[in-house]
Amino acid sequence: MTVLGGIDRRLLQNVDWPLLGAMGGLVVLSATTLASLHIGRAGGNVAFRQLAWFALGLCALVVVASIDYRRLVRLAPLFFVFGLLGLASVFVMGRTVSGARRWILLGPMSVQPAEIFKICFVLMATWVLTSRWAQPVGKTTLALTVPVLAVPAVLIVKQPDLGTALLLLPVLTALLVGAGIRLRLLGGVALAGLAALPLVWFLAMKEYQRERILVFLDPFRDPLGSAYNVIQAKIAIGSGQLVGKGVAGATQSRLAFLPERHTDFIFAVFAETWGFVGCLVLLTCYALLLLRGFEIAASAREPVGRLIALGVTALFATQVLVNVGMVTGLLPVVGVPLPLMSYGGTSMLVSLSAVGLLLSVRMRQFQ
Amino acid sequence: MNNWTGPGYRGSLPGRRDAAQQRIMTMSIVVIAALLVIVCQLWYLQVLEGGRFQEASDKNRIRIRPIAAPRGILFDRNGLPLVDNRPTFTLSLIPRELERDPAKRDATLGRVAALLHIPYQELQEAVAKVSSDAILPVRIRRGLSIADMQKVEEWKLELPGVIVEVEPQRVYPNSRFAAHLLGYVREANDDQLKQGRYRRGDMVGQTGLERLLDEFLRGKDGGERIEVDAMGRPVRLVQSTEPHPGAQVVTTVNRRVQEVAEKLMEGKTGAVVVMDPRNGDVLAMVSTPAFDIDRFTGTIDRDAWLRVMKDPEFPMLNRTIQSQYPPGSVFKMVIAAAGLQEGTLTPADRVHCQGEFPFGGRVFRDWKKEGHGSVNLMDAVAQSCDIFFYGAGLKVGAPAIVKYGAAFGFGTPTGIELGTEKFGLLPAPKSPRRGRPPVWHPGETVNMSIGQGQLLVTPMQVARFMSAIANGGVLWKPRIVQRIERQELGVIWSDAGSVNGHVELNPAVWAFLRRSLWAVVNTPNGTGAGARIPGLDIVGKTGTAQTVANSKSEKGQDHAWFASFAPARDPEVVIVVLVERGGHGGSVAAPIARQIYNAIFFEKVASIDISG
Repeated sequence: MTVLGGIDRRLLQNVDWPLLGAMGGLVVLSATTLASLHIGRAGGNVAFRQLAWFALGLCALVVVASIDYRRLVRLAPLFFVFGLLGLASVFVMGRTVSGARRWILLGPMSVQPAEIFKICFVLMATWVLTSRWAQPVGKTTLALTVPVLAVPAVLIVKQPDLGTALLLLPVLTALLVGAGIRLRLLGGVALAGLAALPLVWFLAMKEYQRERILVFLDPFRDPLGSAYNVIQAKIAIGSGQLVGKGVAGATQSRLAFLPERHTDFIFAVFAETWGFVGCLVLLTCYALLLLRGFEIAASAREPVGRLIALGVTALFATQVLVNVGMVTGLLPVVGVPLPLMSYGGTSMLVSLSAVGLLLSVRMRQFQ
Repeated sequence: MNNWTGPGYRGSLPGRRDAAQQRIMTMSIVVIAALLVIVCQLWYLQVLEGGRFQEASDKNRIRIRPIAAPRGILFDRNGLPLVDNRPTFTLSLIPRELERDPAKRDATLGRVAALLHIPYQELQEAVAKVSSDAILPVRIRRGLSIADMQKVEEWKLELPGVIVEVEPQRVYPNSRFAAHLLGYVREANDDQLKQGRYRRGDMVGQTGLERLLDEFLRGKDGGERIEVDAMGRPVRLVQSTEPHPGAQVVTTVNRRVQEVAEKLMEGKTGAVVVMDPRNGDVLAMVSTPAFDIDRFTGTIDRDAWLRVMKDPEFPMLNRTIQSQYPPGSVFKMVIAAAGLQEGTLTPADRVHCQGEFPFGGRVFRDWKKEGHGSVNLMDAVAQSCDIFFYGAGLKVGAPAIVKYGAAFGFGTPTGIELGTEKFGLLPAPKSPRRGRPPVWHPGETVNMSIGQGQLLVTPMQVARFMSAIANGGVLWKPRIVQRIERQELGVIWSDAGSVNGHVELNPAVWAFLRRSLWAVVNTPNGTGAGARIPGLDIVGKTGTAQTVANSKSEKGQDHAWFASFAPARDPEVVIVVLVERGGHGGSVAAPIARQIYNAIFFEKVASIDISG
């Protein structure tokens, strides 16, 4: 295969082992946590399914890493359009789970187009920011990124999947900063956005929409909504104490008081089982992963590689911070999975492909 | 073309790679700092507060109980409630609190089924519909009897996850009262749930004002967090959030008038609109047959539902705005207005009516076989002479008729926001296109002159039209809601009324129209004599609209209209009555209007509040 033929020995020498190590560590922690939950699903235990997805994801990682990322970026508009079509397809053939249409069925699997879109978004943003029209980086560049952000944001919010939509903005901001935009310009735009908020709030929004945002910011406004999840998650985490209760003792998680315990709230399960010490190990893995990502971005020799690495890293960072921040009660509840930990096939596949992109940049930085 | 991604490309910041590196370095520091904040929070939760949470986890017996907010009340214009709330018992299941073991759970459901005689299948389906993690109750039966409620309470310990909630539910003065105007309230259906605006089990206004104002009427549910012991008995109230009741709505309806009109229409199919011509206020809005509004609120069984939906009389239809009828002779007032204003008719025009009008190889007949003899315009209105108007229509011409018909609001919606309003149909003669036969036949003009042919109107449009004659040309948008008030905020929405059109006619023309309408009711030969009340000047126009003559109704084929207002000087009330296949407007519809006027102007209770 020409794809795999692209990996010559020189490339293999530059494989980033610490990055892969951090990734592997996280997957092991994820599998053990999922195994401890004993959630039976059609088709087997979630831990096995997660590992199956991991195997598939590894293949994706190898394929992505072996392709020159510049070729991928050249095809970015194509990916972007396909990504948008995927997002739109949930409205036509989507499967509704608890009020949100986020999945589409492809054969025996259900796929979450919003997850796949995250990568398409990073590629597209990189393509736009490094295109000729975007040079020099300034107001024009900013204007070019508006449709890249707005079109998918509308589609994702409609699903509704507020969490994914909120990820796009910080990722784009990181890319703009990395592309060298003047901070004063960025700050000005941010201020203008803040100033426009009251207008949107009072003129464009209906009362029930405002109420929903208020509940989002303060779950305790609506005792029947997500407040319950937050309370249960806090109890689970707190009761883990310093060293955790171990698999057998993690009653909060085992007895299913915790909602979404194998997906968005998996951190709470982990924290209850392994305590503060375990959490430090987990967060260290993430810190390692993110720092390697930033290092790859910083050491990239040319803007495309730098921005791709930066975008992927920003994507990981935002998801980790938002998810853990939400589960520990620091941030409002948004449906964002914890990458590499949460159960979810699409998410696993996408996270590993993202790592593949980082590797691709890393391996080619000395070319 | 694509060499910008090539290896030789150095990017937009030649020589500034260090700057970029610095920025990336800063970003990584920000991220690590954020991670440290999380570590601090974990230290706080797990180490500092860990003991407390450990305790909470040991007896994790927190339960959430929603407290349903009462829906807002709708009042009539004088502060009388049109609808009220009453607490009722609802049997609910809380999926999360059901037994986790499927066998034990099924046993619980079986016990409930046996205790309350609910099909076991129904319980299974209700539980299967939602996630087993759901903390919100799934409502199984609303309106539980006290005996049933006590049974559940007695067996409480054997029924984990089964609760009886107290929910406020709608009660109505009588089961069909203002059914179309108010609309019914029902649990959110699957389509509404998909919008993401409601929770499963929420009561949502489905038709009428309940639907239009649902956003305001629905309150905000509160909730309680309680701690229970191992047996599921409440030990301590941890937190409680009060429910916010929905907003109060003051309508323009006069409850007494509505009741009188409904009573008079009992057993008939048709519609009544009572309107204040001075501001467009809808004082009453009746459509019959009505549906049992209270039956739709609870769990309606399939058969009852199908019976209503398949009823050939369409009880769900709001005939005041959703049914279209030929206006019949009521439309003659448009011909008269157009002709007088344009100068194609004069009050002195005279026609000798012998009951027949040959035109275009056809003979158009009068409703009175032997004819009306020699009539002038006013006589023709009073006696509703068709022959006179056949000729008059031709003189005025289709374009002018359509112009004035449109000016009086026919063919355009009244703007009432109560459900999907029909527009009616004002056929417009189009200029013939080349190579095609002309689309308008003069015969159609003849037909339109007496309100037949393709012409279609809704009773609400006729009420707006009569109001315009009464008030000198102002087309009011019908107003049903005066204001909406919230307990703590006061008036949050109000409607001062709005005008959606204006008709300019010479004052002499207005005066003539009113005088001829007066003659309809108050002269010996007038067709509207059935509406006459000594001591009150009622004016109006009868109409008898022919329909496609293949109905098997034994009452006849014609729709009876009576469109009227009173008092003639300074009109305060417009009443439009339509009885489907009722017969002659003068003999069927006019007496109904008379009795409503009688109630408004001569029965003390109603007369005090009419101007309020």
